Amino acid sequence: MRLLIVEDDVVAGEVMLKGLTDAGHECIAAPDGQAGLLAAKGAKFDVMIVDRMMPRLDGVSMVEILRKEGDQTPVLFLSALGEINDRVAGLNAGGDDYLVKPYAFAELIARVEALARRRETGSVQTLLRVGDLEMDLIGREVRRQGKEIDLQPREFQLLEFLMRNAGQSVTRTMLLEKVWEYHFDPQTNVIDVHISRLRSKIDKGFDRPMLQTVRGAGYRLEA
Amino acid sequence: MRLPRLFRTTPFRLTLLFLVVFAAAASAFLAYIYLATAGEVNRHADAAITREMQSLEAIYRRGGFAVLNQTIIDRTSGDHGFLYLLMNKDGQPVSGSLAVSPVEGRQAGDRQWASFRLNETDPDGTMIRRPARGLQERLAGGELLFVGSDVGEAEGYVVKIARALWGAAALVILLGLAGGVVVSRDVSRNINSLTGVIGAVRGGDLRARAEVRHTGDEYDELASGLNDMLDRLERSIGGLRHAGDAIAHDLRSPLTRLRARLEAAAIEADNGKGDPVGALHTALEDADNVLKTFNAVLSIARLEAAVEPPNPVVFDPGELAAGVAELYEPLCEDKGLEFRAELTPALQLRGNREFIAQALANILDNAVKYTPEGGAVMLRVRRRSSGDVEMSVTDTGPGVPETERARVIQRFVRLENSRNEPGAGLGLSLVGAVAQAHKGQLELDEGPGSVDGSGPGLRVALVLPKMG
Repeated sequence: MRLLIVEDDVVAGEVMLKGLTDAGHECIAAPDGQAGLLAAKGAKFDVMIVDRMMPRLDGVSMVEILRKEGDQTPVLFLSALGEINDRVAGLNAGGDDYLVKPYAFAELIARVEALARRRETGSVQTLLRVGDLEMDLIGREVRRQGKEIDLQPREFQLLEFLMRNAGQSVTRTMLLEKVWEYHFDPQTNVIDVHISRLRSKIDKGFDRPMLQTVRGAGYRLEA
Repeated sequence: MRLPRLFRTTPFRLTLLFLVVFAAAASAFLAYIYLATAGEVNRHADAAITREMQSLEAIYRRGGFAVLNQTIIDRTSGDHGFLYLLMNKDGQPVSGSLAVSPVEGRQAGDRQWASFRLNETDPDGTMIRRPARGLQERLAGGELLFVGSDVGEAEGYVVKIARALWGAAALVILLGLAGGVVVSRDVSRNINSLTGVIGAVRGGDLRARAEVRHTGDEYDELASGLNDMLDRLERSIGGLRHAGDAIAHDLRSPLTRLRARLEAAAIEADNGKGDPVGALHTALEDADNVLKTFNAVLSIARLEAAVEPPNPVVFDPGELAAGVAELYEPLCEDKGLEFRAELTPALQLRGNREFIAQALANILDNAVKYTPEGGAVMLRVRRRSSGDVEMSVTDTGPGVPETERARVIQRFVRLENSRNEPGAGLGLSLVGAVAQAHKGQLELDEGPGSVDGSGPGLRVALVLPKMG
């Protein structure tokens, strides 16, 4: 994946650059909004990681300019501002996801990969398939090896999100945000309980477990 | 040079400006009055002189030079109030009360007006000069006749008026200055107390307050406005300072623990023993918990400093509670707790959905955490008779002793018997802050009571005011 990192904090930028490069991505870094704008116009990227507050041109303005010019590259905003208003403002400006600093690196990678994937599978799908697991989005049916699995509505949504991001790590926070639409951290990991219920339904009785726990990151659905 | 403070005050400057404008207007007024009155005096004198001249000319026409001469002599000795001088063709005085014609030069025309000074000796022997006016005409025979009038008395009257007006102007200016000083003093005294407060605050004393005299005037309004502002500021800063202290206090121990773990892991790794990867993961988890605590404290501080809930929307609290219940129900079941929800439909609330959901999640979290297996957790949303909306969670856990209830809402307070449970002790503090930001209340009560050695349970209610 080609990533553009627009971040004015040199150390944070370098850590991101190194981490994402190690994760197998091709990264280009820009130290402020102006440079970011130039880089974004000069080449094609799969995802842009943009800090909200930067000298010369802030992240929100930069993305607004790009969106006006028709650039639809997914944008992940990074911000030290965690207020809901700030998140709404960032998403209104054309951001696709919003991550509040400080964040776990696993969270960043998971979100960047989810953004890129969302773009790949941008077309409307009615059938999701991961290995021997099938999800019919219209009939609201899930089958594994042809055997129907009965899911609660929320479990269905949870599995849909995992299937759309199959092979990638998704964090608990991402699940809480994208499936339940809550933006807070519960004190106990309630998500774990929901995952274990889902796991018991899709993995129990099959020789190979698909829903895996990724230490320090979250979960991953493997084909 | 710096002027004394009083002269630099705004009211005093305004007074001065007013006085300058007033003085200019008064001067113009005086000038007009003077010109009008003085002009009138001269016109009056001129008319009298012209009439006298005409009467003398008539006498001359009828009786000739000799009769005129006689008349002049008569009128000069009588008190006619006029000044006369009759001259022959060569301009040599013949008769009259003046020795020389005030009209200078031989080339004087046939009819010539003149203003001049009359030298007179008063009874004391001092010389006084009085203003006079006169008209000189050449008679038909070539002789010259001058008729004048003493206008000193009338002009003196004008001068008196002018003097009186100047006196009045001086009086007005003096009174104005005095008034300006009094007004300035009053304003300064009021403003001084306010600037004193501002100075103290700038100097770091946030507790300084302006004196409110309850007179209801604009200074009072300003003072109480300033005080309100300072109250809010002090609360916000106090909240932030408290948050800072709390963060420092609560982050120190997990950070210390984290450091110790890393150090131990590093030593073990040096010796080729232990599980460095595992230690790193544990360290990461520790760091995540530190961040979680940090974010929670920050949220609480921001909510406490907020005037109204951020991003308020109108929503159905029953629906919101159902969402949160759905999130926690599996957790209850896993722990062997009976979970029930009684949600009144179609209620309305105005507030921040996200924070209220989080508050409810925190309350449920505590209930699940502290209720032993086999117990029950009940979530209820209902409308009170007052119209307020009550969202409550009742559990059958050990409860909180009445004396401790106020304390558990404070930050980082965890009761002795819960020290071994995970959590930073911020859950209820956040609920309290959410309640406060929504102008609602957080209530803690006893649960359903003691049964079989368990209980008495706890009932936590978030009460939010009705809309409008």
